[in-house]
Amino acid sequence: MTDYKARLTFDGLSDDEVRGLLKGLGIQLTPGEARQLVELLGREPTLSEAHLFNIMWSEHCSYKSSRKLLGRHLPTDGPNVLLGPAEDAGIVRFCEHEGVEYGVVFAHESHNHPSQVVPYEGAATGVGGIVRDVYCMGAEVFAVLDPLRLGDPTGPRGTRSAEVAAGVVDGIGGYGNPLGVPNLGGDAYFSQRFDDNCLVNVVALGLVRADGIIHSRVPAEAAREPYVYVLVGKATDDSGFGGAAFASVDLDEEEENRGAVQVPDPFLSRVLTEANKAAWAWLRRRGAAFGMKDLGAGGIACATSEMAADVGMGADVHLDRVPVSIDGLPPFVVACSETQERYMYAVPARLAEDFCAIFNRDWELGQTAVGAAATVIGEIVAEDRYRLLYRGEETEEVPVCSVSTRAITHGVYHERPRRAGSTRIHTERKRPDAGWGEILRGMLGSPGGASRYPIFKRYDSEVRGLTVLRPGEADAGVVAPLPGCPTGVAVSVDGNPRYGDIDPYLGAFFAVYEAARNVACVGARPAAITDCLNYGNPEQADIFWQFAEGLRGIGDACRALGLIEDPEAALPVISGNVSFYNQSAKGVAVPPSPIIACVGIVDDVRRAVPAYLTEPGLELLFVGRRGPELGGSLYYESVYGESAGRLPDLEADRWRRELGAVVEFISAGHAVACHDISDGGLALALTEMTLGTYLSTGVGLRANLHDLHAGSAAALLFNETPAYLLAVPKGSGGEAVRFLRARGLEAARIGSAVEERRLVIRYGEHYLINESLDELRELWLHGLDGVFGV
Amino acid sequence: MPTVAVLAFPGTNCEYESARACRSVGLDAEIVRWNQPARLRTADAFLIAGGFSFEDRVRAGAIAAKEAVLDEVAAAADAGKPVLGICNGAQVLLESGLVPGLTAGHPIEMALDANEHGYLCRWCHVKTHHPESCLFTTRFTEGEVWPLPLAHAEGRFTTRDPLTLERALDTGQGVLRYVTPDGGDEPGYPYNPNGTLADLAGLRNPAGNVLALMPHPERAAWLWQLPAYLPGDWGGRRRDVSIRTEMNTAGPGRKIFLSLADYLGVEN
Repeated sequence: MTDYKARLTFDGLSDDEVRGLLKGLGIQLTPGEARQLVELLGREPTLSEAHLFNIMWSEHCSYKSSRKLLGRHLPTDGPNVLLGPAEDAGIVRFCEHEGVEYGVVFAHESHNHPSQVVPYEGAATGVGGIVRDVYCMGAEVFAVLDPLRLGDPTGPRGTRSAEVAAGVVDGIGGYGNPLGVPNLGGDAYFSQRFDDNCLVNVVALGLVRADGIIHSRVPAEAAREPYVYVLVGKATDDSGFGGAAFASVDLDEEEENRGAVQVPDPFLSRVLTEANKAAWAWLRRRGAAFGMKDLGAGGIACATSEMAADVGMGADVHLDRVPVSIDGLPPFVVACSETQERYMYAVPARLAEDFCAIFNRDWELGQTAVGAAATVIGEIVAEDRYRLLYRGEETEEVPVCSVSTRAITHGVYHERPRRAGSTRIHTERKRPDAGWGEILRGMLGSPGGASRYPIFKRYDSEVRGLTVLRPGEADAGVVAPLPGCPTGVAVSVDGNPRYGDIDPYLGAFFAVYEAARNVACVGARPAAITDCLNYGNPEQADIFWQFAEGLRGIGDACRALGLIEDPEAALPVISGNVSFYNQSAKGVAVPPSPIIACVGIVDDVRRAVPAYLTEPGLELLFVGRRGPELGGSLYYESVYGESAGRLPDLEADRWRRELGAVVEFISAGHAVACHDISDGGLALALTEMTLGTYLSTGVGLRANLHDLHAGSAAALLFNETPAYLLAVPKGSGGEAVRFLRARGLEAARIGSAVEERRLVIRYGEHYLINESLDELRELWLHGLDGVFGV
Repeated sequence: MPTVAVLAFPGTNCEYESARACRSVGLDAEIVRWNQPARLRTADAFLIAGGFSFEDRVRAGAIAAKEAVLDEVAAAADAGKPVLGICNGAQVLLESGLVPGLTAGHPIEMALDANEHGYLCRWCHVKTHHPESCLFTTRFTEGEVWPLPLAHAEGRFTTRDPLTLERALDTGQGVLRYVTPDGGDEPGYPYNPNGTLADLAGLRNPAGNVLALMPHPERAAWLWQLPAYLPGDWGGRRRDVSIRTEMNTAGPGRKIFLSLADYLGVEN
C-alpha cells in the first residue's frame, strides 16, 4: 500500500485479521492499540498516522510497559539536581567558578539491536545519538563511556562474537574520535548469554552553564510572537525508519529490520557542534528565547510534536520542505525516519532567515555533507492541533496527519503481569584441583580478567586536553572540564550480569553501589546516577518481574547510599533508558542487566588517585570485610564455567559509612592509590594494583591476609563482598588505620609494594599465591589480543 | 601581543586546547575558520590543529591542503613566519608540500600513511635532535627525552623516494623521533607506534620555521595532564603533584609553545 492518505479500516475485522493487516504494512501496533487509535482520532487513521503512532507508541518512545514503575521506585530529585529526567538529559550541579554556576549534563542510551546486526554502524550511531541528547541541552560534551556486554569470543560461536566485539569497539572509536569527545572508559563482560544479543550502552557527559540550559521545548514566547521550526543537519533519508519500533521487537525479525539501522556521520556532527554554539551565541545576543531538541526515535514527527505539546501548543509541519537525499520517499517516512545528525530548533520567525545563514553560509553545511542544511519546515500554532502537511494539503480535511498535539504525545500504557522467577541459589562445589596461582593466571588470561588496553587504545581519551585519569588508570575516569578550575568530574559504569542472573534485585542494588564505589575510589563524592535497563521481553511475566525487581533494587540502593553532603537526600537518578526485547532468536533473554553510570564530583583533581601502585615501599590497607559467599563470582565462572550460588549480603549501612570515609581520606590527600574489590575478589584486586599499565611495568607486592576472615581460602581470595584497597606512603599505614577506625571502619595493613618482581599473598605462614609479576603481566596484557588485535 | 591564528577546518577538533596552550605562554590565539582567509593576514604565527579535516577524504589532510586558506599559510611560511601542524595539522603540512619542503614551489614530497596496527591512542616518548635548528624546539636540549600522547590512524611518515628522506635527515630535519621510555633509539612497536620511517614523530622544513608533529604537545602542556604511570622523571613529577602544586605548572609539551613565544619576543 503506497497511498499515504489511505484510511485503514479495522471495523468488522477480527483481532487476527487486524494483526495480519498491520504486519503486512510493517506496523507493530497490537489490535487493541489499533482500535484505541481509532477511538483517539474519532475516525479511521490514515496509513501515515498508523506509522506515526506505531513509533510514538513503541516501547522505546512511550515506555508503555515501564513508566509507572519508573516513577514509583526511582528517586529523581535532590538538593543537587538542576534538571531531573524530563528532557533529553538530566543535569546535576557541578561547581561555581569565577561567579558562574555550572552543571554536569548526562544521559545514557542503549544501541543493542543495531550493534548486533551491523556492529560498527550500530555502535557508532549509539555514540552519535547520546552525544546529541547532551549537546541539545546547551552543553559542551566532554566525555563518553561505553558499557559493553559481548558474546564469548572463546565460546562455540566465538568467531561471530569476536567480530561483533571488534566491530562495536571500532564503531565507538570511529564516531567519538572524529567528533573530538574523549572516551573516559566503560566496562566489558563477555558471555555466551550475549552471543545473540550484545548490549552496547553509551553514556555521554557535558558541561553547561546553569544560566545557559536549553530546553527541549517551544519557549513560552511562542504564544506572543510567531515561531517556526528549523530543521538543522543531514538531509533526510529512509535510514532508521522504524528504528524505535525495531528496538522494541525480538531480534529474530532482524533480517527484515536491516533498514532500521542508521548511518553515522561524525564529521558532520563535529561541524554541527561548532555551528550550534555560534547559533546559540547569536540568538542570545538578540535576546531571543529558543528551544532545541535532538532528532532521535520518531524523527521529525516526534521532535515537533513533543516540543509543542510540552507547552500546550501545536504545529503545522510541511514535509515537502524537508531536504531529502532520496527522491520519492513517502511523507510518513520523511516524518519518522531516524536519519542521524539532525536537530530541531524553535526560533522566532523574524530571525529565521539570518539564523539559517549561520549554518548554511558561515559553516557551509552543504559542503560538509550532501544536502545538509538549516531549513524552516513548519510553524508553531497556539492551539492544540498538530498537522503533517505535504504538497499543499492545507486545504484538505485530513492531510497526512491531523490530530490533537496532546493525543500524539499521550502514550499508551500496558499493565504487564509479573511472575516471580527463581533466584539461582546454592550448588555444592568440589574444591578445584588447580592451585590458587593457576586459577589467578587463568582469570588474567581470559576475556573476563584481561587488560582492557586492547579496547581503549582505539579510543581517543586525551582530546580536549582535560583528561586527568584515563581508561585503565583508575576505578573511574576523571576529567577537569573547566580549564583552570581544579574541580573535576569522575564517572564510572557498572552492572555485573552474573549477579542479575542470580537475583535481579540484588544485581541492581550491587550495580548502583559498585558505580558509586568506583567513583569514591578516585576521591569523588557520588552526585547522581543514570540507569540503562536492559531486559528481555516485558510481555513475559517472569521477565517483567526481573525488570520490576531491578527497579526496586536501584531505588533502594539510591536511598540507602544517599549523598555524602546531605544525609537526608537519596542519590538521585537524573536520566535513563529502558531497553526491552534483548533476547536470542530462540527467545532466551539476556541476563537482567541494569547498567548504572555514576557521576561524582572531585573537589580537587590534584588529589584524585589512580588504582595502581607506582613504587616500592607503599603500604597497602584493606578496608571492609570479607565474606564466605562466592555466588556470581568470576572465580566460579573461571573454575566451574557458571556462577550460581549465594551473592554477598547487603550491608548498606556499613557500605555507606565506608564510602564516606574513603572519600574523606582520599580527598584529604592521604592516599596515593585506591582500588575497589569486585570481580575476582581480593586476589584479582591486589593483582591489578601491581600489574602497572601498557607503559609502566608495575611493582611487586607482599601481602599477608592473616587479619582477614572469610571461612575458606577460596573465599578469602575470591569473595566479591564490596571493600577497598588503599595505598599510602611508606610509614603512614598506622596513622591511616587509626583515621579509618576512628570513623567506625574495619581496616588492616595487609602488605607493601616491594622491589622484587613477584606477587606474594600469604595467610600467616601459608603461601596462597606466589607468582612472577612479569609472567602475570604477559597473560594480562595479551588476554584479548585474539579479539581486538595487537 | 603577538597573535597565533589557530586554523579550524570542518572536522578539526583540537582547536580549543591548542589555543589554550598558546595563551599559556603569553601569546594571543584566535581560532580562524577555513573560509575566513582574510583574517589570517595579521597573524604572527599559525597553528593547524588536530582532528579529521574534511573527514580524511582521499587522504588525511589532502583536501584541507587544497583550500585557499593554505595559500595564505604557504605565503607566510615562505616569508619565515612560524607554522606548526599538530596531528591532522601535520598531515595537512605534508599534503601541502610545506614539509619537508626540500624543493621550491611546494611539491608533495612525503605523506603520512596508515599505521601498521590501526588507530592508536597512547603515550609515547620522543627524543629531540638539533633542537636549535627549529624555532619550535629551541627550549629543549639535544637528546632530551620527553613524553606526550598520540592519537591517530595515519601517522607513518613515508615517501616514494628514499633519497628524499635521506636528504631531509642529513640536514637534521627530523627533530623529534620516537624512542623507548628510557631513550633507546630504534625502539620498534609499540614505542614507534605506527611503523614510521626513521622513527619520525616531528619533521621540520629546511628553514626551521615549519614543523609537522604527529603527537600532541597541547595535551602535555600542563603537568596534571600527564598520567602518573609514566616511567622516568616526568612520571615522578606527576606523582608528586599535590594541592600545593599550581594548576598551571608546565608539562613537557609546554616547551614547544615556549619556544614559539621566545621567537616572537614574548618573555616567559
